[in-house]
Amino acid sequence: MRALLVLVAHDLRQHLRDRSMVLFAVVIPLALSAVFSLAFSGVDDPQLEPVTAAVSVPEGDEAAAAVPQTLAGLAEAGIDVTVLEVPADEVTAAVTSGQAQVGITLPQGYAAALADGTGATVEVEVGEDAGLAGQVVVGVVSSTVQAMGRDATAVAAGAELGLDGQQLEALVAQLSGGGSGAGGPSEAEASAADGAAGTAEGAEDGLATGGAAWTVRGVAGGQLSLSAGIVAGQAGMFLFFTVGFAVLTMLTEREWGTLARVRSAPIRPWLVPLAKAVVAVLLGTASTTVLLVAGSLFLENVAFGSWPVVLVLVVAVVAAATSVMALILKLAGTAEQASLMLSVVAISLGVVGGTFFRVPTRGSWARCSRSTRSRRSAAG
Amino acid sequence: MTTSSPGTAAPVRPDQTRTSAPVLQVDGLVRAYGDLRAVDGVSLRVDPGETFGLLGPNGAGKTTTILMIAGLLRPDAGSVHVAGTDMAADPIRAKGHLGLVPQELAIYPELSARDNLRFFGRLQGLRGTRLKTRVEEVLELVGLEDRSKKPSKTFSGGMKRRLNIGIGLLHEPTLLILDEPTVGVDPQSRHAILESVATLTDAGMAVLYTTHYMEEAERLCDRIAVMDEGRVQAQGTRDELVELVGDADLVVLAGGGALEAAEAAVEVLPAVQRVTRDAEGLRLTVRGAPTAITGIVTAATDAGMSLHDVQITRPDLESVFLHLTGRALRD
Ligand SMILES: Nc1ncnc2c1ncn2[C@@H]1O[C@H](COP(=O)(O)OP(=O)(O)OP(=O)(O)O)[C@@H](O)[C@H]1O
Ligand SMILES: [Mg+2]
Repeated sequence: MRALLVLVAHDLRQHLRDRSMVLFAVVIPLALSAVFSLAFSGVDDPQLEPVTAAVSVPEGDEAAAAVPQTLAGLAEAGIDVTVLEVPADEVTAAVTSGQAQVGITLPQGYAAALADGTGATVEVEVGEDAGLAGQVVVGVVSSTVQAMGRDATAVAAGAELGLDGQQLEALVAQLSGGGSGAGGPSEAEASAADGAAGTAEGAEDGLATGGAAWTVRGVAGGQLSLSAGIVAGQAGMFLFFTVGFAVLTMLTEREWGTLARVRSAPIRPWLVPLAKAVVAVLLGTASTTVLLVAGSLFLENVAFGSWPVVLVLVVAVVAAATSVMALILKLAGTAEQASLMLSVVAISLGVVGGTFFRVPTRGSWARCSRSTRSRRSAAG
Repeated sequence: MTTSSPGTAAPVRPDQTRTSAPVLQVDGLVRAYGDLRAVDGVSLRVDPGETFGLLGPNGAGKTTTILMIAGLLRPDAGSVHVAGTDMAADPIRAKGHLGLVPQELAIYPELSARDNLRFFGRLQGLRGTRLKTRVEEVLELVGLEDRSKKPSKTFSGGMKRRLNIGIGLLHEPTLLILDEPTVGVDPQSRHAILESVATLTDAGMAVLYTTHYMEEAERLCDRIAVMDEGRVQAQGTRDELVELVGDADLVVLAGGGALEAAEAAVEVLPAVQRVTRDAEGLRLTVRGAPTAITGIVTAATDAGMSLHDVQITRPDLESVFLHLTGRALRD
């Protein structure tokens, strides 16, 4: 096995000498994490500041009263909304003074107007500092009002019951589902739904499906947050370049002629590709680990669960990547062909990369053993 | 029997006992690329301490043969034995006896001459002080001591070639295989390379040397195989090969005067086989021209010929190749 050590040490030294190892294993992962931290900070859990809504409700109007009740219900859903019931002529003052960020004036005879179908105008004023939470409030109000207009009876019933969080979710979901092309408001409603779920899961899935259908699910164990998913995905893609880089030296050596010379030495022929694979695994593990660690340091909300498990997972994935590279090497005649194939594989993996890593914490071992097995079959 | 190489006369190194067993025995090697039989039944034998030349034009199949001998290419048929070990049966042992200098450069451009040598030395199983001393010896032999720390990509073409050769010598192989080591090298470096090969053979190393330069083969090799289109057309010492074309020299007597009388006078000499006469003088086909030339010149002048110039052209491998294949050796 001395020959293997000689080959591995030689390759590592070569990478070190042209600084590519430091570049691939440390510098690029760190740089990537820095870029991620800039690009993706705040993607998770939209930060909703507390918001105060000044609402004027005509005396004894049950339908109109449903609006502040709905808003109050938002608090349960995780959005800090304070409802300030004020007389109609003080709404504007409350908003301009900054006492409230949103002002809502429900007109006199609102319930009656809904009942006879003549329609009513609800005035909504938005203060300059309303922020995302303010937008949510506006969205919720407008959708509530619209729903009432569509079905007055239902609204009345709803008003009697007082809409709770879940009903609100259903309502918003129904509305945003119907008006997916509506742009701004629909996004605000989406955020509301997300807030209602109280997890980052909604946001993650939502982005994944293009923001159209926001489904709200319960919290399912140790899934990764969106940033973590992105970092993991990038790690998956990056890993391929690193591993590919190490394995592609095989082609470079063919061009240099040194491969034939190495093979003419009295060593077992399979030691040569094995040494490349060992170097690839070392380099790939180093760079992926650096990327993941840096990601979890730079980015809030990025956690990958138990580190030993993640490390095993990374090594398994690196090994799998190495065997895919070996396959590419076999198929590709030239270094150019190989790097082209490599890019295709790497980018596809980057796209599905998050999936690679999105592992429930408890199920990690199952996943690990599966990737190990797939590595074996790929290598065999 | 004369040879053009200093190798045969050289003393054999004491620690390398000459045995009658050949260093390399190649039997019926065949390798086809698709329909092309690049190597078509090649058999060779290289004895200990011998320098063996494989002479042939581009595409003759020299490199393909070398690759099979070095165990880098699997033959379709035939066998290779290195120092008695079958390459197919025990490649690691067989490869241990070989030092390969590939036709194309095979060095790491980022590494210095010394690091290149060290790495390949380790792969050959050298270590410790032996590795160290061998690296220094080889650096000196190929004349790269003063450039040993620079990356080899900064070397001139000739220096790269010399390093390329040095790597093959490192572990003192029983048989050194040099595949056209002088291609693309200036005359000075070429001379240095040929010198160092001659030094090695003097030291008792067997060398298999491929080339398409006839002069190199003549200068270096004890025995030569002329190869063309995948086959060995003839093999033997230079003189044995030259005898194939009849061992006749061409003598040109340029001048005037009594040409007819001179023709008649030289024609009767025993060494002269054939005489033709033209406007410039006489052309003779002569056996053993160097010894017969005085008699010829005397006979011609005595007969009344006034000589301007005498030329002797001895047959060379070029004419052998022409004779064997009907083609010139040069591309
Ligand atoms: N890998 C290959 N695939 C297909 N044909 C090949 C391959 N290698 C060599 N050949 C062909 O085999 C024949 C012999 O090639 P080879 O390289 O052995 O010649 P050579 O005697 O070494 O020539 P040169 O003096 O130019 O180096 C040539 O016709 C060449 O085109
Ligand atoms: Mg060749």
